[in-house]
Amino acid sequence: MHSRRSFFTAFGVSALALSAVPALAHHGWGGNLDEEFEISGTVVTGVSLAGPHATMKMKDDKGNVWDLTLAPPFMTERSGLKEGSIPAGAKVSIHGHRNRDPKKYEIKTERVTVNGKTYNVYPDRT
Amino acid sequence: MHDLLAWLEASLIGHAMRGSGVWTYGVVNLFHILSIASLFGSILLLDLRLLGVWRNIPLAAISTPCVTVGAWGFVVATLTGIGLLATKATEYQSNPFFYIKIPAILLGLVNVAALSRLPAWKQHRTRELSAAEQSKLAVYGGISLACWFTAIAAGRMVGYW
Repeated sequence: MHSRRSFFTAFGVSALALSAVPALAHHGWGGNLDEEFEISGTVVTGVSLAGPHATMKMKDDKGNVWDLTLAPPFMTERSGLKEGSIPAGAKVSIHGHRNRDPKKYEIKTERVTVNGKTYNVYPDRT
Repeated sequence: MHDLLAWLEASLIGHAMRGSGVWTYGVVNLFHILSIASLFGSILLLDLRLLGVWRNIPLAAISTPCVTVGAWGFVVATLTGIGLLATKATEYQSNPFFYIKIPAILLGLVNVAALSRLPAWKQHRTRELSAAEQSKLAVYGGISLACWFTAIAAGRMVGYW
């Protein structure tokens, strides 16, 4: 009887704890600003499909190098972006959310446009 | 540290992690989590017993499965962890949680080494331990829980930095 009660207590506590998690879940977007952010530049390092997130690097016209965090590898590939599909030197436009820290040049990227073609790596997000 | 991380990233492991398909990282991550679950689950049971919970169960009955599962968990967690780190090793050099995680793991290992040298630990399968010996083991159990909890907590936070 006693162990059954402690089981239900533990279950209740974990349910409560889990209900607080979604705010933080999965390396969320909380570290980035809510407002949409757009910027253009020249690709320095093309797409890498390595985990945990695909990445690329871009330089803006002021010379700042931006880390572009794309979706996880499979989602990024599904959008049509492959390693080598955007070479270094290509002009790209980026749509996403900038890091909250103004000293960090990092964008959680939702869309990449190159030569008029848009790769939507997070199709469920605006 | 930078040289070591750069070397790891450029190593064969780094290349394999980056260049063998979009699911590689996820699958290695899966085994990392499974092995941490095995490692921490067994550590939690053993350390709680050392701290005095379930005194009616003989220590050896808990330590036998926990040490085996925990040790294998540690081996797999280390191997998969090296793979995950190698993927983009240099990105972690400015991550403060990384510098909490690694020392916590090393301290945990020192604690295991020290515990396994104690006569009380070596003989707990063959004789009853005195109250003084049990309290001594409890100290190691407490340190162990603190080390591994810190390692896992910091490890999780690495991804949110």
